[in-house]
Amino acid sequence: MTKADFESVVREQQGMVYSIACNFFHNTGIAEEIAQDVFLQLYESRLSVETGAHCIAWLRRSTVHRCIDMLRRSSFRNEVQVEVLPEVPVDMPETDPFLQERLRRLVASLPETPRAVLVLRFGEDMDAAEIGRTLQMPVRTVWSHLQRATALIREKASHFLKENDDEPVRTRP
Amino acid sequence: MNRLERDLSESLKRREPPPGFAERVLAHTFASEKPGFSGWQWLAVAALLVVMVGGVAFVREHRRQAEAERNKQQLMVALQITSSKLNRVQERLSVIQQRIIELRLEQ
Repeated sequence: MTKADFESVVREQQGMVYSIACNFFHNTGIAEEIAQDVFLQLYESRLSVETGAHCIAWLRRSTVHRCIDMLRRSSFRNEVQVEVLPEVPVDMPETDPFLQERLRRLVASLPETPRAVLVLRFGEDMDAAEIGRTLQMPVRTVWSHLQRATALIREKASHFLKENDDEPVRTRP
Repeated sequence: MNRLERDLSESLKRREPPPGFAERVLAHTFASEKPGFSGWQWLAVAALLVVMVGGVAFVREHRRQAEAERNKQQLMVALQITSSKLNRVQERLSVIQQRIIELRLEQ
């Protein structure tokens, strides 16, 4: 990989790498640090970027694994406390920043593997097969993590999120 | 996709990094880059090594040959000295033998 190739990859994929790390930790400083490390690793590995898809898959896999490694090594595990989140207003608009913030914190409070699965599924819009390849796990395991993670979030968010597909306006119970 | 999934997609949608992030990544990456050898530099290093090893071997062979030549010269000198000594002994023996013969004839 030449310097020009690398520069092009950084400019094109910085958003993806940064978003995965940011959604994983809900912390912009850590996200920047992880993204920096991932790109440095990419450059030092002298990966030949034969196809863009190959490079994107490598970046996704490396970012998620680095996030998981950092979570295991550090004290970020319990950094997000769901109980101390601010109260949300009763009448919430369709795109509610409070709700989004709360959901991001809920995701960041999940255990590492379901968190990674959720971030890839909803942040990167990847299907179960792609997530399975990225995290090196069977598709059934991906589905299992997805179901358990969404159930956990639904349970934790039940007091402020009333889920109803037919009811567009969410209200607190 | 149900409501919760839509909310999750909205919450986790892609976010742009802060301004100047790519520049910082590039600067940090290139700054930490270790100086490496290119192809022709490796070739030059290999050629230098070959010349050094060849030079050392040549000098050692040259020294060995000079040592052998010196030993040969010393041996030749030693043989010459020995030869001259033997000649002198031979001459003395001849004189002694001549003297004995002359004494016997006188008797």
